[in-house]
Amino acid sequence: MDMIPSSLSPQAVEDKPLDIVGLLSRVHHPGAGAVVLFSGEVRDSNRGRPVAFLEYEAHIPLATAMIAEILATAKAKWALQVAVAQHRVGKVPVGDTAVVVITASAHRSEAYAANKYIIDRIKHEAPIWKCEHYTDGTKEWGNNCNCHTVTGDVSKHIYEGSE
Amino acid sequence: MKIHVYAGLKDYFQPEFEVRELVRNTDELKAVLLTLNDKAGEILSSCRFAVDEEGFIDSEFKLNGYDTIVIIPPSSGG
Repeated sequence: MDMIPSSLSPQAVEDKPLDIVGLLSRVHHPGAGAVVLFSGEVRDSNRGRPVAFLEYEAHIPLATAMIAEILATAKAKWALQVAVAQHRVGKVPVGDTAVVVITASAHRSEAYAANKYIIDRIKHEAPIWKCEHYTDGTKEWGNNCNCHTVTGDVSKHIYEGSE
Repeated sequence: MKIHVYAGLKDYFQPEFEVRELVRNTDELKAVLLTLNDKAGEILSSCRFAVDEEGFIDSEFKLNGYDTIVIIPPSSGG
């Protein structure tokens, strides 16, 4: 059983900044000797082009439900004490966090593996999309999952280094 | 039947629009959508479909009776 405060939603897709330090401070667990936090942040360039900001869009009900399922699967697979994943939507400036994943477990190998599993599945499967807005005023929906070109099925994905 | 599209699909269709033809499954819906924009074939072939009450659906799913279909392009979150 985790000790996440009841006011903290383990999964969230919201149009507001992510307070990763505040989030981390609220999810410590006495049974967890390892806590891993991944922060996906907005980079100032994409394929050599300077980026002004990103804009994220999501089907929020489907994305939230999918992240909840991903967290539940990860918690069961790695016996995690804590699993949290929150994604921001709307305009996100360079340097800000767009997605945060926190995992906690007795030992570090499980926390690392579970964290990678969660972010990989979110990036491949959750109905969330980013639009790159470049400094020259152009924009581009991009970096989509393209696993279907290999698997032949839009619901089947390839995860690097997965079991 | 109302259609909602997201992200890159909005370069091909309005974010929300209505399809009046009778479509029984997602393959038939794709065919109708291609009559609206024949340049959308490649992106439509990479999309998933969902109905709010059921979540994601496959091509076997019977669309009859559902009012709103959501078309989901490949993810690019993170």
